[in-house]
Amino acid sequence: MKNVTDSFVSLGHWPSAGGFGFNTDILATNPINLSVVLGVLIFFGKGVLSDLLDNRKQRILNTIRNSEELREGAIEQLEKARARLRKVEMEADQYRVNGYSEIEREKLNLINSTYNTLEQLENYKNETIHFEQQRAINQVRQRVLQQALQGALGTINSCLNKELHLRTISANIGMFGSMKEIRNN
Amino acid sequence: MNVLSCSINTLKGLYDISGVEVGQHFYWQIGGFQVHAQVLITSWVVIAILLGSATLAVRNPQTIPTDGQNFFEYVLEFIRDVSKTQIGEEYGSWVPFIGTMFLFIFVSNWSGALLPWKIIQLPHGELAAPTNDINTTVALALLTSVAYFYAGLTKKGLGYFGKYIQPTPILLPINILEDFTKPLSLSFRLFGNILADELVVVVLVSLVPSIVPIPVMFLGLFTSGIQALIFATLAAAYIGESMEGHH
Repeated sequence: MKNVTDSFVSLGHWPSAGGFGFNTDILATNPINLSVVLGVLIFFGKGVLSDLLDNRKQRILNTIRNSEELREGAIEQLEKARARLRKVEMEADQYRVNGYSEIEREKLNLINSTYNTLEQLENYKNETIHFEQQRAINQVRQRVLQQALQGALGTINSCLNKELHLRTISANIGMFGSMKEIRNN
Repeated sequence: MNVLSCSINTLKGLYDISGVEVGQHFYWQIGGFQVHAQVLITSWVVIAILLGSATLAVRNPQTIPTDGQNFFEYVLEFIRDVSKTQIGEEYGSWVPFIGTMFLFIFVSNWSGALLPWKIIQLPHGELAAPTNDINTTVALALLTSVAYFYAGLTKKGLGYFGKYIQPTPILLPINILEDFTKPLSLSFRLFGNILADELVVVVLVSLVPSIVPIPVMFLGLFTSGIQALIFATLAAAYIGESMEGHH
């Protein structure tokens, strides 16, 4: 037994003579306890650590996926808005083109109808003027005739006396006598 | 009698193997300085672990992160959250500093507790967590001190020193004392926690090697993780406090 412990002791003694070396005494270097501690640490620590890290990874994945989806949604909405914009622009252009021609047409129509109305009114005016002119001329003629007749009547009335009446009757008798002679011949 | 002396010899031999050495370090001579080589070696290992895993994880960044990238992004989010809570609005430029503090202390504490350092035997001293050396923790605490001074001075200029007489000038000695106790408490809290846990585990292992140390090792993992978080949070809190706006 002494030999065994002696060799055991000498093994432990050899490096402490002043140099480097490996200590193979398992009682001093404590490998059993260390391995037990390491084993337990790794066994439990692995579970906890992988849980933590998995959670973190899932969180990162979810965040990335969410932001990707939001980006997709935003791009879709942008596309839709752009399509609507294009459609509305086209319609606006059409309206613009159509609208202008329609405006022109309406304008022409209005101008024409106004022109017609104007012409008609012009005709009415001319007719009315004519009519009034005629009326005035007729009125004037009538007056003139009336005046002339009145003058003649006045003259006759003023010139009518017994002598003129005698002469007229004798002229007429003379004329009747000559006519009778002619007829008898 | 033979059995008794033999067992005593065995016990002495066992003691020589599993002796607890505190304070005897492994020195290198660089220039005129004695450097604690075991701390340097373990620090290099921690730095290699951090840089290697980071470069491996961000080699092929995807939008949907794969495992390594996801884990590192999660860690980064955590550190950002800590900085944002403590510093406030301008936390962006301080995230690398707080992150480095947190990750270095965390990985060095856990590497000290989990990696089988004792397999490699040095002539003097032993390999363990780099933060169980007071020099490491004091260096980290002084860096934090410099950082919060720098933050306050760049934000407010020389008006930063007006904060020593806020809220009343009677508190001036206490405010000055605070500038010394902040790095002191940071360094000793971290150093004490890590070294004590390591010592407890080593003593328990030398007494009852098999199952009993295991709960204490779990406790050690838990507290060393918390200590890393506390160091980073306090560093951020000091920076935030010195960058605070005008009252």
